[in-house]
Amino acid sequence: MSGNSELAVETLELGRRYGRVTALEGVNLRVTKGSYFVLLGPSGGGKTTLLRLIGGLVRPSAGRVRLHGRDVTDLPANERPTTMVFQSYALFPHMSVARNVGFGLALRRVAKREVRERVDRMLDLVGLTGYQERMPHELSGGQQQRVQLARSLVLDRDVLLLDEPLAALDEKLRKEMCFELKRIQEQVGITFIHVTHNQEEAMTVADRIAIIASGRLIEEGSSREIYEHPARRFTAEFIGETKIFEGTVEAADGARARVDIGIGVIEVGNRDANVRVRDAVSISIRSELLELLAPDETASAAMQSVPATYEKTIYLGLTSSHRVRLPDGAEVGVRRFSGARGTARIEPGAQVRLAWHMEDARLHTS
Amino acid sequence: MGGVPVAAGSWRRRVFGEEGLVRYVFLLPAAFMVLCFAVPVGLTLVWSVFKRTQFWMEPGLTLFAYETFFTSARAENFAYAMVHAAIAVVVSFLLGFPIAVFVRRRVPVSIQHRVILLFILPFMISELIRVFALRPVLARHGLVNEFLLQLGVIDEPISAILFTPLGVIIGDVMSFLPFMVFSGFLAMEAVQRYVFEVCDDLGAGALHTFKDVILPLAAPGIFAGSVFIFVNGLGVGLIPNILGGPGAVNAGSIVFESIVALDFPLAMAISAIMIVTLVALLWIGHWLFDLTRVLEPIS
Amino acid sequence: MLQDYRNPWLYRGMWVYLLLLVGALLLPVFYTIYISFNEHGFGAQIYDFTWDWYRVMLGNTQIIDSLRWTLGLGAATVAIAVPMGLIAAKHYKRTRHKLVLVTLMLAPLFVPADILGSALLVYFKNLNRACNWLADTLGLEWIRTWFELGFGTALVGQVLWTVPYAFIVILITMSRYHAQQTEAARSCGATGWQAFWRVEFPQIRVGVASASAFVFILSFNEYTRTNLLKGGFDTFTTVLISHMFNTGMSEDSYAMAGTVSVISMLVVGGVLVWSLARVERLEREARAAATPLGSA
Repeated sequence: MSGNSELAVETLELGRRYGRVTALEGVNLRVTKGSYFVLLGPSGGGKTTLLRLIGGLVRPSAGRVRLHGRDVTDLPANERPTTMVFQSYALFPHMSVARNVGFGLALRRVAKREVRERVDRMLDLVGLTGYQERMPHELSGGQQQRVQLARSLVLDRDVLLLDEPLAALDEKLRKEMCFELKRIQEQVGITFIHVTHNQEEAMTVADRIAIIASGRLIEEGSSREIYEHPARRFTAEFIGETKIFEGTVEAADGARARVDIGIGVIEVGNRDANVRVRDAVSISIRSELLELLAPDETASAAMQSVPATYEKTIYLGLTSSHRVRLPDGAEVGVRRFSGARGTARIEPGAQVRLAWHMEDARLHTS
Repeated sequence: MGGVPVAAGSWRRRVFGEEGLVRYVFLLPAAFMVLCFAVPVGLTLVWSVFKRTQFWMEPGLTLFAYETFFTSARAENFAYAMVHAAIAVVVSFLLGFPIAVFVRRRVPVSIQHRVILLFILPFMISELIRVFALRPVLARHGLVNEFLLQLGVIDEPISAILFTPLGVIIGDVMSFLPFMVFSGFLAMEAVQRYVFEVCDDLGAGALHTFKDVILPLAAPGIFAGSVFIFVNGLGVGLIPNILGGPGAVNAGSIVFESIVALDFPLAMAISAIMIVTLVALLWIGHWLFDLTRVLEPIS
Repeated sequence: MLQDYRNPWLYRGMWVYLLLLVGALLLPVFYTIYISFNEHGFGAQIYDFTWDWYRVMLGNTQIIDSLRWTLGLGAATVAIAVPMGLIAAKHYKRTRHKLVLVTLMLAPLFVPADILGSALLVYFKNLNRACNWLADTLGLEWIRTWFELGFGTALVGQVLWTVPYAFIVILITMSRYHAQQTEAARSCGATGWQAFWRVEFPQIRVGVASASAFVFILSFNEYTRTNLLKGGFDTFTTVLISHMFNTGMSEDSYAMAGTVSVISMLVVGGVLVWSLARVERLEREARAAATPLGSA
């Protein structure tokens, strides 16, 4: 029954149903030892269920879970080499910070002095030195999450599971805590699996990201791969701001495909997707990789373009979104740094061209 | 990176683990309620058709007990008791429900529960003692009469309170009114406070707010409270015994007297009538209002 | 706030009405206590304070004896009804058959004392006959007295009467507990038991304690069911009622009623004050949490 021991977590066709509702189905996940792994996806997509299945808080209705090559499917949470940090309300309100952090050690009957030393060391690590005697209600949200982190890390388990640990914090604090989490993970070197619906949070902390939606594992890769080369249309749409064109393949070879998107025919690279003629496909382009060409400008040979009508510019602070309307009625935003020049002088209603470099467009069959 | 704690022995998991034998402990309360409550209460229907013997009863199929009940003065008294219980329900509603609404709407959220808890105190003192204590209050030379005489409202003590139907109704209301406050409040708790602010904002008058918003939302609670008061008013035999006049009875006291007279089938027949009435009322209520809504705040 | 525009007199009037109503509900009890301290008893024109009636009461061995039974029955009822309410409340949180369970647990509230008492009486008499028959025909002597009317049967009656209250009180306390803490404890290595005893129980202890007090008082005050099911012994309330029906309202029955009321009020009032003080503290803590001492 032993699997690959280089993997901290391995799930095989893992699934969970609640009555007639399927929360998760057929998930095969592989997490390398010592990596910071993020499960990212929309609310209700099943990512928390997956985390709880790994942690042993929920029993799978199908499939197996292996931790470090050992099958743990039938073990409850307290007998697995995992530990978990929750969204909030998970500190024991009737215990001081020190007793919260030392809870798991006290259960194992570790000597009091050793408990104290290890608790102090952990509080040090999470930056809460001197908070031992505080009660949970005397801490801010961020501090409470640090205590939870210490409570889990002090146990020296191999895998730390974090269930939306920063969701209850405000924006600024969340950014700070992201860097903290990353630093702590690098320092202790154990595997972190972190669930979130926040892309920025995911990008900040992750070595690798898995996209979970509709109870399935959509795709998995490094942050850069997920953002720049999404294989699946869902990923492209879910992450960042993306324009999707739907169309049918007119001609294709190993390198390129010509796709009819209704308002024109465009060319796109076909190395990864490998589509064939008459396939229904979608093409995704990140909004910051789109460009607007004034009527008098001509596109370079490497660029694809479609006609559009310029409508208005929406100021968003760091960036601005230049809105254009395509002949089929769809509205598209083109993102530029607000300071950048070039498109600001176009009059509303002017005919322009929406253009992009061919290699920036991704071809998806699903 | 030691990690895994020592796995508990498998026999311990088989007994104490989530899927071990210990989970059957959770079925014990329900099993107790079935064996010591549902079964005896259900069996009253069976025993009510048994034959009466001198000291006990023997299996049989006879409606003699029901005949005895319906052809004697008991049936008429029972009907009166129902009327008295119904009046007690109405009076309790009129006196108690406004409290539930007032507390939910106007009292600051942080002290609402405390105010409602004020009604726990009288509720927790034995209804026996409270009914008993009404006697000196309502008696000819009792507190109420003395007070009214002092005020000069009356010249003669009113003797028509104690040992009359009025006394019984007062006893019912004094005993069970807190329950109307509790269940009314519990139902109102399911109503978010912003609902009232919306009503005020839309300029709904007090009457409209009450009729179109409060009443439908609190209906399950009102119904639960009403059924409780009605059934207990009909079934607690002590109240007519202590406060009613000679011959004042209700289902409870008839049952008790039948037991004393060793007429067990009769006692069971009246119990059965009460149980069927209760089940029917609750079933109708559940069908009309979904009584589980009363419990929403706690689950 | 819209409240600011309302008629303040209506608001005050409702408060006055509310307090008057509570007062009216309590009035007979206080009046009884008042009479119990009058040397001349009920209806006298003069009032002389005395402890005599309580002395008479305490001198009555039957009453003292019944008090012992009452306390024993109360303790046994607490010992059974409270754990049962707790287990049922735990079960309620996890079961899918919530409606069935809650109906079963709360139904005894709706069945009047005389009805439930006599149904149980006939039930136990039947079981007793069956046991006697088994003892006679099969020689199983040891089961002969299982269902004889007595302490055990009265206990069943009292547990049925009190368990709904224990269930509700504990369930309400549990609704404030975050189940996530149990999961956190489990993922820190606690078994289900350890998570319950070390994390959940300390937080619902107030509910369990109040439930115990309420159950004890309800048992202490119960009359009808106990009277039907008790068999040979007497409790405080059965003595009181038989006094009343046999000899009318004698002065020492006022003292007995006074005793029951004062004990009830002390216990219930004590529990209320204690649990409210606790709620107060928790709220203070919640406010403190809103303004943290240090920043992250």
